[in-house]
Amino acid sequence: MAAMSALAMAFGAPRIAAAQNEAAHSPKAAPGKTVTDETGRRVAVPPEVKRIVTLAPDLTETVYALGLGERLVGDTEVCDTPAAAKSKPHVGTPVSPNLESIVALHPDLVLATTSINRRETVDALRHLGIAVYSTDPHTVQGMLDSLAHIAELTGAAEPGTTLVAGLRARLDALHARLADLPLVHVLFVIWEDPLITIGQNTFVADALRWAGAESVIVSNQNWPRVGLEVVLELQPDYIVLTSDHQKAEGTESGDLKKRPGWKDLRAVEVGHVVVISEGVDRPAPGLVDAIEELAHVLHPEAFKEKKENGKVKVENSPWANTTARCSSEAPACAL
Amino acid sequence: MGQYHGKMLQRGTRVRPLTPQRIVAICGLLGAVLFVVVVFSLRMGAYPISLRDIVMTLFRGAIGRRDEIPSDFWLVVFGLRLPRIALGILVGGALATAGAGFQALLRNPLADPYVLGLSSGAALGAMLSLMVAPHTAGVIQAGAFVGAVATTATVYFLGRRGGQLDSPTLLLAGIISASFLSAAIMFLGTTLSGRDQRGMAFWLMGDLATPPTVDLKWLYFVLLVTLGSIYTTSSDLNLILTGEQEARHLGVNVHRVKLVVYVAGSLLTGLAVSVGGAIGYVGLLVPHMMRLLFGTDYRLLIPTSAIGGGIIIVLADTLARTVVAPTELPVGAMTALAGAPVFIYLMRRRVR
Repeated sequence: MAAMSALAMAFGAPRIAAAQNEAAHSPKAAPGKTVTDETGRRVAVPPEVKRIVTLAPDLTETVYALGLGERLVGDTEVCDTPAAAKSKPHVGTPVSPNLESIVALHPDLVLATTSINRRETVDALRHLGIAVYSTDPHTVQGMLDSLAHIAELTGAAEPGTTLVAGLRARLDALHARLADLPLVHVLFVIWEDPLITIGQNTFVADALRWAGAESVIVSNQNWPRVGLEVVLELQPDYIVLTSDHQKAEGTESGDLKKRPGWKDLRAVEVGHVVVISEGVDRPAPGLVDAIEELAHVLHPEAFKEKKENGKVKVENSPWANTTARCSSEAPACAL
Repeated sequence: MGQYHGKMLQRGTRVRPLTPQRIVAICGLLGAVLFVVVVFSLRMGAYPISLRDIVMTLFRGAIGRRDEIPSDFWLVVFGLRLPRIALGILVGGALATAGAGFQALLRNPLADPYVLGLSSGAALGAMLSLMVAPHTAGVIQAGAFVGAVATTATVYFLGRRGGQLDSPTLLLAGIISASFLSAAIMFLGTTLSGRDQRGMAFWLMGDLATPPTVDLKWLYFVLLVTLGSIYTTSSDLNLILTGEQEARHLGVNVHRVKLVVYVAGSLLTGLAVSVGGAIGYVGLLVPHMMRLLFGTDYRLLIPTSAIGGGIIIVLADTLARTVVAPTELPVGAMTALAGAPVFIYLMRRRVR
């Protein structure tokens, strides 16, 4: 029976496929390198990475920031930063990418991240003999480390070092200004209904600290769902929203004022509702832009000497135009 | 219930006597349909491969000339599509046979591992076992089996009224168990990290995209042994369906038959859920389709349900991975779309 023999092939297939792939790579395996990724898995990376597929928007942004946009052969449907990423072939969503589409793109390296991709996706790709490097950033420093790792893997170590140093310098400058100021207590809203916020082990919580703020919710879960009552009890100084699901700041704070529960929050009453760029949700270079943006809103006094005509003007201010974060003056996006 | 099956049984057997030749012929026919569906499924997908290339790849693979196959074709056909199809046949066959078995055991045409809450029980068992002993081969399967057995016993116990199995009570017991178990699963889910939670959410909807941690060979071995043991009870099941009292008078060891079907059905459910998640309505849909096509004799119903389950799941999964390509849907969403209306139809027909 042909069906039976075909089925029999299927049983042995994964191992054979892996073996065959090893064989295919063995001639060039010598100059390639084996590294351990951030989740502790061994990854054999070819010496020269020419075809990259990214499985998350922050990874896409990172690849572009390293000046490797041309080597990116595929990304996900939600990769929108920079705009050029939208026109790359898509392999589906980060949570359920299409493995066949990835195979068809012949990637040397697939980049994944624990913050959005499934473990099963990574396992399945590795099973097929495709090199997958997973990042696992939990802090802003972790983001910089991941950036450096990806830079090294892809042979872009030099631009990587420059990029990381630049971002680090901006963070240090921010720290120098904010170190002596008290932390502002904020409620960071990932989603409004149901209310989902951040736990203290996320890079967002760390980003808040860099911006001189602290989440009022303390949780070991990464994205805890909380009741509005808890927030009413804690009365945060500011409500921080991101722009990806609420476009304009004006409508948003006005909107909250009309909502039962929300309107009783002191922060909403006095208009302490901040909408910052969605970069804060992504462990990529744009995160530093978002941190600076937030710091300027929460701690205007620290930047006072730079204020003119009521407009914030800070030297090296790449976040000034947040809708076009990847403008040429942003070192993160120097391509 | 007995009447329902009895009527169908008479209608089915009166048409033509069931000979072993006829069983083999019908199963062969279904096998051929399955083969066509498999080739169709191999052809469909995000990576474009022509039917000719599929046939050449299969042929070269079958005669062991792997080096002549382009590596992309090899990866897509033997690395991705065929293992997934093999998994689909396994899960579909297990769920459909379990459904047919439970319909006889509980004497209820609406019985199905999913509707009765067994799939949720198996999922909870699998989840608990993952927490106790992660990364151990076979532990998910064992946990899912224990979960399915415990849920079957509970639902069976709760479904009795005045010492008799009562159909509406049984279904309510199943639905309530399922919602209780789902709540427990959600509660346990909060202890998982975000990454595991996403995987779990997919798995609970029924998902064949993830290769199992246990070798498919062993899973198929368990499937065939279990199918065989259910098959040995098929003549007795026919008699039990006309009435337990009558079957007992005819010398059927009703207690033993029920135990075999109960354990085997739970094992099949646990097996399917441990690798494919909670895929609903297959156990309901397929046996009824087979009854309509080939009559209600369990000697024919068990093997045809096993093959038919494979056909339905492979078709559903092919749709699931192609309709919104490149994104994939969970296969459970597809079977629920088709299965829920059939469930309602069967329920209304019974009420009339």
